[in-house]
Amino acid sequence: MSNARDIKIDPGDEEPPAAVQDAGASDRLQGLGVSPGIAIGPVYLYARAAFTVEHRELAPDEIEDEVDRFEWAVQSAEHGLEKILALAREKLGDESVQIFEAQSMMLRDEALYQEVVHRIRNKRCNADYAVMKVMTQHRQRMEASASEYLRDRAHDLQDVQERLIMHLRRGKHFSQIDPATIVVSENLTAADLLIFSKRGILGCALDRGGATSHVSIMARALGIPSVVSLHGITDVVQPDDLLIVDGIDGNVIINPDEETLAAYRTRQERYRRLLQEHKQLAPLPAETLDHVRVHLRANVEFLEELNVLKDYGSEGIGLMRTEVLLLMKGEEMKLEEEKQFESYKLVVQTVTPEPATFRLLDLGGDKMLPVAHREHNPFLGWRGARVLLDRPEMLVPQVRAILRASAFGPARILIPMVTNIEELRRFREIIEQVKDDLTKEGHASAADVPLGIMVEVPAVALMTDLFAKEVDFFSLGTNDLTQYTLAVDRGNDLVAGLYREIHPAVLRLIKRTIDAGEKHGIPVSLCGEMGGDPRVAPILVGLGIHELSASPSYLPEVKRVIRAINRSEAVELATRALLAKDAEEVSILLDHWLGDHGCKLDQFL
Amino acid sequence: MIKREVMVTNQAGVHTRPASMIVRTAAKFKADFWIQKDGYEINGKSIIGVMTLAAEQGATLTLLFNGADEEDAADAMEQLFAGGFGEVK
Repeated sequence: MSNARDIKIDPGDEEPPAAVQDAGASDRLQGLGVSPGIAIGPVYLYARAAFTVEHRELAPDEIEDEVDRFEWAVQSAEHGLEKILALAREKLGDESVQIFEAQSMMLRDEALYQEVVHRIRNKRCNADYAVMKVMTQHRQRMEASASEYLRDRAHDLQDVQERLIMHLRRGKHFSQIDPATIVVSENLTAADLLIFSKRGILGCALDRGGATSHVSIMARALGIPSVVSLHGITDVVQPDDLLIVDGIDGNVIINPDEETLAAYRTRQERYRRLLQEHKQLAPLPAETLDHVRVHLRANVEFLEELNVLKDYGSEGIGLMRTEVLLLMKGEEMKLEEEKQFESYKLVVQTVTPEPATFRLLDLGGDKMLPVAHREHNPFLGWRGARVLLDRPEMLVPQVRAILRASAFGPARILIPMVTNIEELRRFREIIEQVKDDLTKEGHASAADVPLGIMVEVPAVALMTDLFAKEVDFFSLGTNDLTQYTLAVDRGNDLVAGLYREIHPAVLRLIKRTIDAGEKHGIPVSLCGEMGGDPRVAPILVGLGIHELSASPSYLPEVKRVIRAINRSEAVELATRALLAKDAEEVSILLDHWLGDHGCKLDQFL
Repeated sequence: MIKREVMVTNQAGVHTRPASMIVRTAAKFKADFWIQKDGYEINGKSIIGVMTLAAEQGATLTLLFNGADEEDAADAMEQLFAGGFGEVK
């Protein structure tokens, strides 16, 4: 994927200062820049796996909170074990299943649970320490056994202890983080990062993660410069090392020398200016030189992102993902209609009079299902529309909540992962039924809430001429469309190089969809990652797209390109791209075209 | 209150899996259930308790039951031990 790094702020800018290029290789790590910006600050090393347990005496008013924290950890550990159990049932033998079942029983065992609570209350010690003490006692008894085999079973107790302590820490560790630091960790969840951001961290560097990991999306939403996929940074940095995180180039520099530091401070300043420019671009329309208007909308995943939509000039929401919103609080799905309604109402009120497009829960595939459910081939399995039609108890409250929110501003409903037209018809029936129910109950909702489908399965893209007669809009999900069309799992390093959104086969399916929409007078939007790639914007405009949706921070650069090109020339480019033999040929075509049309997209700085 | 003596017959002794079987069986009955071994007594409905017995093959355990269905509970438990938890003897 492409991001802000491909764009030059100001074509006349000078060459990068030498130091930026020459910083010693030993202290520089290359990763994947997932949230642009430069952060410079001391390391806060956040290690989840460290198990040194410290003793802390509780103040009297802390005791019950500590008991609650323990209960929370037990629940969270139970939930974790359920998932492991489901996997074990499928992939491992009976023996490991029974061990995990036994571990699960231990969590609520009075010899653990009651004793820990007793210790917290009577000895006023922190839960981590109480767990460690109680479990150590039990273990010592077992370790005294004459049978070596039975002595070894103490490991099962040790496992439970570590599991519990791990879950206890997830609920608490944040309180100690220092503001104005850079968090370095093996991995983080989006929820972790959100909490860190409230403590005022400057940047984030992770061993793992990818461009579309939830933590990366969250980092972009919060504007925290971040580099992921650094493989081993947690092994080489020390707490309080000075770190530079370059979220544009995907670099991290450990303990930079004075010269490098000065160079990056300059770079940081220039990036700040770029953001300024973006602000100025925000109120201007995304319109080509020959006056073809494109609507740039936002892909949104977290309510926290709503604050930044205006800064990036997004016109409403082209894709409101709802999975994380409903999964964020703890691990349980929060499906209550009222809570969903409150969230959706806030979304609609924030973007009105522009539309908010709500994609119904898209579970399965790589997105965790609430019931631990493993399949051999999840991307070809029970996901999206297929799950929802089987689980009306998940679908109905969401539809009710969206329809009720539509009373506060324009809302659209988007169905994920549709393959057959019959699925669409069943959704329409259910939605009509819900509408009737709401009216009878006296709830307000908009008279017209457009219903659209994701075009992400090639079968649908090929049939859009028929689907167009029965839907109100299309939304091209090019990430999945590319995976399914090219038979490439982009998360698989062995074949990820074959994943090319600009492959002519994908472009042809996009073209087909746009044409079908045009013929039947329904809007077609594109909400995959390529929608946020300024480099491919000319092709998309040339194919006839009028609506792009992307992570908000990508929109200004896309707009800059659109404002610099002529639609008529873009059509020529698109026509040639459709006839290209492969992705490489499209890429070369594109490079030449961009050069010839004065939108030289160079390295930033 | 009734009392039974049982012997651990399976080769591996009362490790994690048998312990979970004992606790699961005990949970089916209302009767309270304790196990004594060498003067050490644990609650037979606690898996961690049962595990800490570290009862190896040949060990003799005293089972104590107290409650309305104590007879049934004792019979079920005796059977479980006699069967060696379905493991190699």
